[in-house]
Amino acid sequence: MSIYAIQLEILLVILGISTLLTDAFKPAGDKRRLGLTLGVLVGVVFCFSFLLKAQTDTAFHGLYRLDAFALYFKRLFLVATALVLVMSAEFAKRIESGVAEFYALVLFAATGMLLIASVNDFVLLFVALELVTITFYILASYLRRQVTSLEAGTKYLILGALSSGFTVYGIAYVFGTTGTTNFDSLAAALRTGGIPNGAFTFGMLLVLTGLGFKIASVPFQIWAPDVYQGAPTPVTAFLAVGSKAAGFALLLRVLLAGLLPVQGVWALLLLVLAGATLAYGNLGALPQRNLKRLLGYSSIGHAGYMLMGIAAVNALGAGAVLFYLGQYAFTNLCAFLAIVAVTNATGTEEIDGFAGLGKRAPILGLALFLAMASLAGVPPLSGFFGKFQLFAAVVEAAQTDSRYYWLAAVGAAAVVVSLYFYFNVARAIYLQEAEDNSAIPVTAPVRVALWICMAAMIGFGIFQRPLVEMAVTAASVFGLK
Amino acid sequence: MNVHDTLFWFFSIAMLLSGVLVIANRNPVNSAMCLVLLFVFMAGLFLLLDAIFLAVIQILVYAGAVMVLFLFVLMLLDIKASERRRILWLGLIGGLAVAGAFVWELAMILGKPLKPLASADKPFHAGLTDVVKPLFTKYMLPFEVTALLLLVAMVGVVLLSKKELR
Repeated sequence: MSIYAIQLEILLVILGISTLLTDAFKPAGDKRRLGLTLGVLVGVVFCFSFLLKAQTDTAFHGLYRLDAFALYFKRLFLVATALVLVMSAEFAKRIESGVAEFYALVLFAATGMLLIASVNDFVLLFVALELVTITFYILASYLRRQVTSLEAGTKYLILGALSSGFTVYGIAYVFGTTGTTNFDSLAAALRTGGIPNGAFTFGMLLVLTGLGFKIASVPFQIWAPDVYQGAPTPVTAFLAVGSKAAGFALLLRVLLAGLLPVQGVWALLLLVLAGATLAYGNLGALPQRNLKRLLGYSSIGHAGYMLMGIAAVNALGAGAVLFYLGQYAFTNLCAFLAIVAVTNATGTEEIDGFAGLGKRAPILGLALFLAMASLAGVPPLSGFFGKFQLFAAVVEAAQTDSRYYWLAAVGAAAVVVSLYFYFNVARAIYLQEAEDNSAIPVTAPVRVALWICMAAMIGFGIFQRPLVEMAVTAASVFGLK
Repeated sequence: MNVHDTLFWFFSIAMLLSGVLVIANRNPVNSAMCLVLLFVFMAGLFLLLDAIFLAVIQILVYAGAVMVLFLFVLMLLDIKASERRRILWLGLIGGLAVAGAFVWELAMILGKPLKPLASADKPFHAGLTDVVKPLFTKYMLPFEVTALLLLVAMVGVVLLSKKELR
């Protein structure tokens, strides 16, 4: 049944390779339409994913799992990919060469993410992680004529290669001390054998270093603002939504499936890191004038919120992280779609460039405003309910260990700080007067994509139940209390 | 000290020295040649571990194929010896501090006798079949994903190095 388990990945690879081949032999005249078609096709794959059933046993000799957790993440990645492709199609006119390859690379990165959702072994973890990361090196430096894009690509390449090195080195130590790379047998060995000595902990920390880089948590967050600002906007969006969710999927799998027996070692570490990440992301965002850079800092801050849920090590926390990632994808994609549409017309990413957007293009103004409000966690939007669950998980953990109250306090302070910079953007949209009041055109696909995102933000904020139920089912595979 | 230990120290010290020379050399071709030396000494270490297949592959693939490609690229790019760079003291001190902390941590861990779990205490084989057979049976999926990875890398190199944009 191994082929059954990877059919979504196979579909994406077929899409990617046929894009490359048709472009080589019969180039499409209208690249924008090609991107939109691919977006719709990925949407079809997303619908198809609901026909798949979660499997209890593993595939590929225990390397791969198609459980509820994997399916949740696969659907999340498919939605994100479809919307990113629509965004790329709008962005296509600013890419000088290789537009079809750009779409293909997005599809290949998505394949890597889908694999990551199912990883159950360190060997597959490394290969899938590299597939995603190497694709992003290329995508980030895609606008070769722009120095900022090249800078983003180079920085991501150097730091990414370093963190991959740490990950492999750590995997070697974990394998050397426990004799297995499989998460299930790792947990079993740790349960019967107790915690091995220093070398194992060292290896575990090195693996966490690599994953910390992916989710941009302190102290591996330095790259995020520069890369987010310099990379082409659809790539930034995919980094913020797809790559980050992939990092969290791995973190949850590794910590809650493989390393749960040694939670005493890592839970406290994550608690400190979550607090530091929250402080860094939210304080660093305060002086930013460039909207993409601001969202880079904001993504560090949100990694902090989600780390709170993992640090709590309870069922509520794991489910909350999944819910948060789901709604975060729609919120961020909404913001980046609006940014692409605005910068296509104005050419600026500075926050001042968004002045008077409420008048110039009401739907873009509304979408960006709602996204900022949801990121800040204003009810009744989905961001509020996501944060509510995460704080509830931390408070529950605090019942047994009072140090968690400190984390909740830092989180609450971070929310207050974040209100300032998110509403700074909102102020530009509605209260600031623009020098040029000409209307900004909004194409039909962007309009549809924006309505989908806004419907999700408001819908999951008021009727949280469907997504919460999916998240809780997905998180239940770890068997936490 | 027996022959095995002597060889181990020889290979590791020589490897570290060539590693330093790779980054210290200002002429890229010399750097590349030092890298070849590094690969050869690393192959020696694999030999000492009885991993004969890995040692051979290390020489064939890295010292042979990969390095030839490296040199080709250097030749095509026609890079002159790079100018003497200004040393960033903050970067140097910071880098050395991190490296020092890392080495100290390693010394602390490896100074104590390693006690792996019972499950890890198996004899270790690294012959040809031990390496190759799992690649096509147990680890088939990662192996296939590597193919996709190589495709992505190839597309990326072509796109990023293409002379004219059109």
